[in-house]
Amino acid sequence: MSEKELLKGNIAIARSALAAGCSCYFGYPITPQTEIGEFLSYEMPKRKLAYVCAESEIGAINMALGASATGAKVMVSSSSCAVSLMQEALSYIASDELPVVLVNVMRAGPGQGHIYPSQGDYNQAVIGGGNGDYKTIVLAPSSVQECVDMTFRAFYLSQKYRNPVILLLDGMLGQMAEPAIIKDNPYPETDNSSWVLNGANQRPAREIRSLEPNQNKLIRHIYEMNKKYKALEANETDWEEYQTQDADFILTAFGTMARSAKAVCNYYREKGIKCGLFRPKTLYPFPFERLRELTKTTKKFIDIEMNMGQMLRDVRLSILSNVQISFIGKPVGDWLSESEMIGAIDNIIKDCYANI
Amino acid sequence: MQTSEIKYTVPKSIKKDTVFTFCPGCDHGVALRLVAEVLDELNLREKSVAIASSGCSVLLYDFLDVDCIESPHGRACAVATGVKRAHKANGSDKFVFTYQGDGDFASIGLGESLHSALRGENITAICINNTNYGMTGGQMGPTSAMGQITTTSPTGRNKEYHGFPIKTAEHIALCDGVSYSARVALYDIKNIINAKKTIKKAFEYQLEGLGFSFIEILSSCPTNWKLSPSEAHKKIENELTKTYPIKVFKDIKETPNV
Ligand SMILES: Cc1ncc(C[n+]2csc(CCOP(=O)(O)OP(=O)(O)O)c2C)c(N)n1
Ligand code: SF4
Repeated sequence: MSEKELLKGNIAIARSALAAGCSCYFGYPITPQTEIGEFLSYEMPKRKLAYVCAESEIGAINMALGASATGAKVMVSSSSCAVSLMQEALSYIASDELPVVLVNVMRAGPGQGHIYPSQGDYNQAVIGGGNGDYKTIVLAPSSVQECVDMTFRAFYLSQKYRNPVILLLDGMLGQMAEPAIIKDNPYPETDNSSWVLNGANQRPAREIRSLEPNQNKLIRHIYEMNKKYKALEANETDWEEYQTQDADFILTAFGTMARSAKAVCNYYREKGIKCGLFRPKTLYPFPFERLRELTKTTKKFIDIEMNMGQMLRDVRLSILSNVQISFIGKPVGDWLSESEMIGAIDNIIKDCYANI
Repeated sequence: MQTSEIKYTVPKSIKKDTVFTFCPGCDHGVALRLVAEVLDELNLREKSVAIASSGCSVLLYDFLDVDCIESPHGRACAVATGVKRAHKANGSDKFVFTYQGDGDFASIGLGESLHSALRGENITAICINNTNYGMTGGQMGPTSAMGQITTTSPTGRNKEYHGFPIKTAEHIALCDGVSYSARVALYDIKNIINAKKTIKKAFEYQLEGLGFSFIEILSSCPTNWKLSPSEAHKKIENELTKTYPIKVFKDIKETPNV
C-alpha cells in the first residue's frame, strides 16, 4: 500500500472501497463498469465479506437497502440505463436516510445507447431520478487518483449524513489506467449504534420505514431531511479553480472533460489569452456561490460537457444576468478532443482577440 | 356458581396495546399473531429483523415488537438478503424473515423472490395469498383464481384475457436452494394449528441454516371479496383449496436435493 501504481479507474474504485471498509457489494454486469464487480467477486469472499451476483439491478440496490440498514458500508456499481432501474429504491434509501454508495460509470444514452463514455446522467444523478423531495450527494472524479480519494469520501459522507452518495464518472475514466496511490482511509468512523437494525435486544424495537400515513409526520420528516441538505451545502461543497483570478473567460467542466479543458487553458495562456477553469468536484452540492462570485470579475463563461448541456443549467443558475454563457458539447465520444474544444472556443471569443 | 375465566395473553413479540388495523375478519391478523407466537416460543424477538413490504402487510412495524424495515413493493426478499448477508459479514447471525402479499411476492417481486430461493438465502418468506391486490382495492393479481371477479376482471378471470394463476408454493419447491415450502390456511381451528406448526418448522429450518424456507398462507380478504368473514372462510375451504391445495411441497429433511 501507499505506493504509486498503474491503476485502472474501475479497479481503483473497487480497491479503495475495500480499504474504506466496504463489507457488502451487490452487482449485475454492465459495461463499462464490470471490472468493479469482477474484482470484488474475487477479493470479498476471501475476506468473508458479502458479495452477491444479484438477479438484476433492482435486486442489487434493494439488497444494498437492506444491508445498509445494519450499519454496514455498502457499495453497488452500475452504468446509465441500469442505474435507471435503481431509482425507486434510491428514493427509498434517501427517505430512510441510509448510507449507500452507488457508482455510476456512465455510458451513452438515452435507452441502451452504447458503451461509449458519456456524461449524460448528470441530470439523473444531480436532480434526482426517483420520486419525491430528496437529494443525492454526487461526487465527480476526473482522475484515477480522484477515483481513489472520492471513493473514501463517498463512504465517509454517506455514513456521516446517512444519505446515498453517487460517484459519477464516465466510461473513459473507469477504463483508463494512470498512476495513483491508495493510502489508508483518511476519515474517522461514524457511530451508527443509535439506529441500526440488529435485533431489539435490551432496547425498544426499531423501524426503518418509508410509508408514513401521518401527514404531519411526513411533513416533519421532509423538513428534517432538508435541514441536512442545507448542512451539506454549507459544509461539503467542493471545487477546483485553475487560473481564474485574472481570467477574461472561464471554462466550466466536470470529470474527464475538465482535464482536456485544463490543457486548453494552458494553450490559451501560452498565447497570452487569459483563460481559466472552474471544475465542480461535488455536483450536488453544486458550488453555486463561488461561481456567482467569479461572475463579478469575469463576464464570459464557456461550459464544456460530454452531453448536450446538463450541468449548463446549474452554471446558468449560478451566474448573474450580465454575463455571457456559451456551451460546447458532444453527446458521446471517445473524448471531446482539445482541438475540437479550441476550434469551438476560438469561434466564441474571436471578436475579442485579434491574435487568434 | 363458578364463573369461567377467559385468559387472553398477547405475545411478547406484539407491541403493547396494539390494535390491528386490518379490516374486520381479515386473516392477516391471525397470521401475524401466529408469527408472533412462534417468535416468542423460539426466543427470536431479540435477534430478529423483519421485512415489511407494500400491501396490507406494510404496517407490520406498527404491530410486531421486533426490528423492522420496509421494502419497496416486491423487493422484500432482496432487502432480506442484504440484511442477512451484511450481518453475516459482520460476524453475527440474525433471524431474518419477510411478510409479504401475494402480489408483492409472486407478481412484481417474483424475480427477487425466486432468485433468493435459488440462491438458498438462509431467510424465511411468508406470503399471504388472498387472491388479489388487497391494499389497492381488490384488483386481479397473479393468484386470482380462474373465474374470480375482481375490479379489473369484472367478468371473471379467463384464460383468453388474463391467463392462469401462479401456484407459488409449488414453484418455490422446485428450487434447489429451498429447505421448506408449504401452503397453509386459516379457515378453521385445525388449519390454524397446522399453520402455526408449519411456520415454526420454517423458522427452525432457518435457525438450522438449511436455506430458504417458505410458507404461503391462503387468507381471506372479506372486504374485497365482498363476503362476510365466515362466507370468506367457506370460500377458501370449498373453492380456493381446489386451486391451492393445503400441502407441504418440499421438506429437505424428507426429500433432500439430489
Ligand atoms: C412499485 C409500486 N407499484 C404499485 C404500488 C401500489 N400498491 C401498493 S400495495 C399494492 C398491492 C399489494 O397487494 P398484495 O401484495 O397482494 O398484498 P395485499 O395488500 O393483498 O396484502 C399495490 C399495487 C406501489 N406501492 N409500488
Ligand atoms: S383489504 Fe383485504 S387483505 Fe387488506 S386488510 Fe382488508 S380484508 Fe385484509
